[in-house]
Amino acid sequence: MTLHPRESRYGRRELLQRGAAGAFLLSSMGSLLAACGGSDGGSGADLTFATPENPVTWEIFEDNPMIASGLEPESGTLRIYNWNGYLWPKIKKDFAKEYGVKVEETFFSTTDEAVAKISSGAVDFDVFFPTTDRVGRLILGKSLQPLNGDYLPNLANVWASLRDPWYDKGSQYTVPYATWTTGIGYRTDKIAASPAKLANPYEIYWDEQAKGKLYLLDDSRDAPAHMLLKNGIADINTENPDDIALAKAELKSLYDQNVKTSTDDYTNLPEGKAWVHQMWSGSAISAQYYLPDGVGTDALGYWFPQDGRGVIGSDMLAIPSNAKNPVLAHHFLNYLLDAKHGYDNFVNYTGYQPPFTALNPDKLVADGVVPKNLRTAIVRESDFDVASQFTELTPTGATEWQNAWAEFKAGV
Amino acid sequence: MSDLSEQVGEDKTGTRFWAGLALPGMAWLAVFFVLPFYVILCIAFGSVDPIFQTAAPEWNPLQWNTAAFEFVLEGLFTSGAAFQTVFLRTLLYVGIATALSLCIAYPVAYYIARYGGRWKGLLLAGIIAPFFISYLMRMLAWINLLQDDGWVNDVLVWVGILDVPRNWLDGRASSVILGLVYGYVPFMILPLYAFLDRIDRSLLEAARDLGASPFQAFRMVTFPLSMPAILAGIAIIALPMFGDYYTPDLLSGAPQTSLIGNQIVLYIRGGQQIPVGAALVVVLMLFLTVLMGYYIYATARAQRRLGS
Repeated sequence: MTLHPRESRYGRRELLQRGAAGAFLLSSMGSLLAACGGSDGGSGADLTFATPENPVTWEIFEDNPMIASGLEPESGTLRIYNWNGYLWPKIKKDFAKEYGVKVEETFFSTTDEAVAKISSGAVDFDVFFPTTDRVGRLILGKSLQPLNGDYLPNLANVWASLRDPWYDKGSQYTVPYATWTTGIGYRTDKIAASPAKLANPYEIYWDEQAKGKLYLLDDSRDAPAHMLLKNGIADINTENPDDIALAKAELKSLYDQNVKTSTDDYTNLPEGKAWVHQMWSGSAISAQYYLPDGVGTDALGYWFPQDGRGVIGSDMLAIPSNAKNPVLAHHFLNYLLDAKHGYDNFVNYTGYQPPFTALNPDKLVADGVVPKNLRTAIVRESDFDVASQFTELTPTGATEWQNAWAEFKAGV
Repeated sequence: MSDLSEQVGEDKTGTRFWAGLALPGMAWLAVFFVLPFYVILCIAFGSVDPIFQTAAPEWNPLQWNTAAFEFVLEGLFTSGAAFQTVFLRTLLYVGIATALSLCIAYPVAYYIARYGGRWKGLLLAGIIAPFFISYLMRMLAWINLLQDDGWVNDVLVWVGILDVPRNWLDGRASSVILGLVYGYVPFMILPLYAFLDRIDRSLLEAARDLGASPFQAFRMVTFPLSMPAILAGIAIIALPMFGDYYTPDLLSGAPQTSLIGNQIVLYIRGGQQIPVGAALVVVLMLFLTVLMGYYIYATARAQRRLGS
């Protein structure tokens, strides 16, 4: 059986209350939102969202307007809602000094936790860091406010493709913050094989030497995605039961390797807990700072397909609709999009690369920001043309994937 | 007569007075246990918001949706299903860890109570001392001890028990059980000590006078007397162990050593099946309530036996 949201709870009235969102999509983009009749006659929401093949221009709702141009920034405390370790503290300090305000950062540990709080309206943060797989829902639920581009001239620093991304055409509600790939990190000093030299690079997970030192990312989407790609399935958002079963079987076959799951990839690999670790590119770049004394950065390897056909994604910045200091928040977004600030934040702290046209892979390596052997961890704009990106799943698909993941995690 | 009625009246006010003292505690229980528990029920029997996919509790019991419970119960009663496998594993780990804790705690508590002498205070302080450090930090310390070049391997190799360092953190059950025992054993020692310390020495002397050997005196007097404390110790450590998820996460991280708490976390912290996580919580609580019921019954019986 699968769980399905009780459709009777959210009938037409509820959707209308939540705004013209449903109506807009029904009238102008029928394919994006199909209302399905509930058994009791009420209509529920079966939302389908943006995909790279099906980009979406979000509606600007009358009751959720953008701020006017030319306003002075507020003098209140700028409140940021973010993952821990995803923003260089000095950036906050400098911004606070420049604008004569206080900056306060609150952390969440999962997107779901953050969405629950933001959508409840009980919290009023000024800046939030959404992800592509949830941003559509936040916009439709009117939890984010449309951005006024007049305050964001630095958006010009960003790659053209991400100034006009599929998940938010025209960057109406979000601006890009950082990009990443999901690849494979490995210890060149411990493992003889390297993914790039294998006929199927993902086979490294089954390498004899990796046994007991193997980690996958503790993420119900990232871990199965590599199992799909290993089998030549590029659609990492597939909801085909056969694909889900295949990914699950592949995951379970790693039990013999004593596979473990973690999201501390940036420490597990350098500290030697892992010799092969499914890894985010930003973690690969940060990992060099966690190597024990006497181990050079050449002990680290990061594989991402040379042709770009791997898993890629971008995180973004947005302003919740109930922000107390929306003008100040716009200024902060623009501050982070400044070429120097974004670069400093990346190289000094997060390891996650802002999609700036000015960033040059050769220069990053030459400057020693990224060790030569980790050059593969640098995200290229062209990768976004071919790589697979996570999109929203349907409720049924999300349930199937989560149950498959739960079964793997149960060690059955 | 008047004296008596006055006395009764006084007793009544006294009762009311003492009942009044219990009020803040009852209010505390209502606000911080009953209410949150009702919220968990409403989430378990509720649904998810179709737009944000966050939990949408159903406050009206008449409209409760049992889908999540059906899913959980089906998983628990299907052999080989994820929930059943994890639940049985949890039962096994907690059972072994509790038994080991008892084997460690009883002699320690017995020694301190009987032979601690003037060192009693110091010994007890020594047992409580680790609690000045958070559980998480203590588990992280074990990671350092157990890692390839950690002290555990150093000592075992030096003594000659192992030829080469063993990878204790590669996801083995023994490391998780060790973590559980280490984390909870002091909770077992303290109630045992408190009880053993109060056992009347004259009872033991009487047993010896009647011809019992020291072992017989222990088996027939001390041990039966300490039964309620043993049960209390088991209840105190087994209950939190059932909900533990960070010990297997930190000391193993492998799917094959995950506990029911890990499944609860998985469903509650991510995705749109929060009611399933909440239903797991409720089912686990029901199971523990049965255990607690047995504990109350068993202690009452033991007290009665001691009384008669």
